[in-house]
Amino acid sequence: MQFACEQCGASVDFAGVSTASCPYCASPSVVERAPAPGRALPSFVLAFTSDEARARTTLGSFLGRRRWFSDGAITRAQVSALRGVYVPAYLYSAVARTTYSASIGEHYEETEETTSTDSEGKTSRSTRTVTRTEHCPLAGLHVGYVTDVVVSGSAGLGDNELQRVEPFDLRQLRRHAPAIISGWIAEDFARDQAACLERSRTEAMDSIGARLRRFMPGDSHSDLTWSTRLEWEAMEPILVPMWIAAARYHEDKPPLRVVINGQTGAVHGEIPISWLRVVLAVLLVAGLGVAIYVLTRHGR
Amino acid sequence: MSAVGALAPCGRCASPLEPGDLRCAVCALPAPPIATAAAAVDHARVLRCRECNAAIAFSPAAQAPRCAFCGSVMEVEQPVDPVEEARIRVPFAVAREEASAALRTWLASRGWFAPRALADEAVLDSLAPLYWAAWIVDAQVAVTWTADSSAGSGRSAWAPHAGQFQTQCANLVIPASRGLTTSECSQLAGSYDLARAVPLEAARDGVAGEGSPIEGVIESFDAQRSAARALVHDAIECLAAIRAEPYIPGSRFRNVHVSCLVDAQVTERAALPAWVMAYRYRDKAYRAVIHGQRAGVVIGKAPLDATKIVFLILGGCAIVAIIAILWLTRHR
Repeated sequence: MQFACEQCGASVDFAGVSTASCPYCASPSVVERAPAPGRALPSFVLAFTSDEARARTTLGSFLGRRRWFSDGAITRAQVSALRGVYVPAYLYSAVARTTYSASIGEHYEETEETTSTDSEGKTSRSTRTVTRTEHCPLAGLHVGYVTDVVVSGSAGLGDNELQRVEPFDLRQLRRHAPAIISGWIAEDFARDQAACLERSRTEAMDSIGARLRRFMPGDSHSDLTWSTRLEWEAMEPILVPMWIAAARYHEDKPPLRVVINGQTGAVHGEIPISWLRVVLAVLLVAGLGVAIYVLTRHGR
Repeated sequence: MSAVGALAPCGRCASPLEPGDLRCAVCALPAPPIATAAAAVDHARVLRCRECNAAIAFSPAAQAPRCAFCGSVMEVEQPVDPVEEARIRVPFAVAREEASAALRTWLASRGWFAPRALADEAVLDSLAPLYWAAWIVDAQVAVTWTADSSAGSGRSAWAPHAGQFQTQCANLVIPASRGLTTSECSQLAGSYDLARAVPLEAARDGVAGEGSPIEGVIESFDAQRSAARALVHDAIECLAAIRAEPYIPGSRFRNVHVSCLVDAQVTERAALPAWVMAYRYRDKAYRAVIHGQRAGVVIGKAPLDATKIVFLILGGCAIVAIIAILWLTRHR
């Protein structure tokens, strides 16, 4: 979709985004679209709280961090692009009714008698207390609200990357208004809504699983299985702030992508592993093992 | 109790929404959108500064769109998280003289360990009316619970149990006071007649509510709305755990876990009356709190008579020594 810039008349391309800046006069423009079936329009926005300078500092300290098995070139990587993007996402909530069953372990103590024979052939008896576990079946119901599940609705930024920089402070939600996103890139909703709903349900189930594990009584539990009925589901399209950077660390390799939560400053990037360093470490450990073995044999 | 604000309740859990809420505070269902005229066709728009007509962009530092040329900031809707304020007040029913008399009665009934002259020699330093801050919550709660109990146990002393029940929180008082201790608040909380509550403005405007003209200090909540909601939710879960106890079979239990589904939660912010007294006995200061509606409820610390305690310990030691001597002489 192309529009003429209101400021200088140059052509501005809005491909997959609802904001763009004019390449000639840098005027930020926002597209206001008519509601259309199948196209999600954001209801809420989480605004950026960090500016580019802070994002750059966060990025610098993330890349500069020393890691044992990562490629050393990462610390000298050149940041070729750093952009603040409003990423489309869905905010999901529901009522969850779960039936569960588990085997609950309850500890008890038992006194055990042990017999030992020493080098002179004398037999001695002693008692010791051992902790054993009794397993009892438990089945029941768990109810609760599942809130604050955020899944990506973006074509460019997957759920895995988004999850790594969550959580967002959802108390700072604002109703969507063009003014809040003006001057920033806001990506359009690109992923299928039905697929996002499925993904939200999976995340909701994971959160229920974590809650169930804390809900179990006893000293331990195993074989926890559950089935959840999600009712009153709500999925609201929102925009979340992200800094997205490309860092070039090697001429022949694709640049490393780093994402920074534009609200909390949480940072994530898939740092490539240096196999050379891994092999060297393995060899070093193996060499040390051999040296210790040889030394102990000679010592005898 | 009346619902807070005039907005329609949440569709999912029927809890009333408050002005500024984008989502329900209890179940997180998004609030219905404000109806706006939809754009008929797609169009691109440059947002302009009202001062100098330059194009403007959202500034993270200002948390609003700001003009890069003249620095003027455009006002936009901001997230709402105000500091809590009391909306209702329970008027004082205990007058200053009654409170003072209640303290004397209380001092006189401190038991054998209190100094005999306590009621006569205690000097009242200050007697201040205080409205302490509390949330008053009504809600329907579906509770599911698990626990270990002695019922049905085998080799271990414990066996797991689970269950569910429905309960109602009616006028649950959750202290938000900084001036009074949690223990003082919980002892005062049960005895208030909340049906006599009047709007806070009634006191400020000088309109005599149902009560007396006592104008106490109204304590501030010292918590923002979002923090308050988390505290209220925790208090409901604590109450649910206590209410689950009768459902747990057996004579002993441990590891009580609850998970709640709260419906129709109405939270009112109240100012509850209490007389805070400071008194001195032989140059040492003590504090007592008297219920603002029932003079019989007094919570505080009273001095102990050191001489009596020393004599009691010496007497106890003497009795033990006599018994020991008698036992030794008999068994020799």
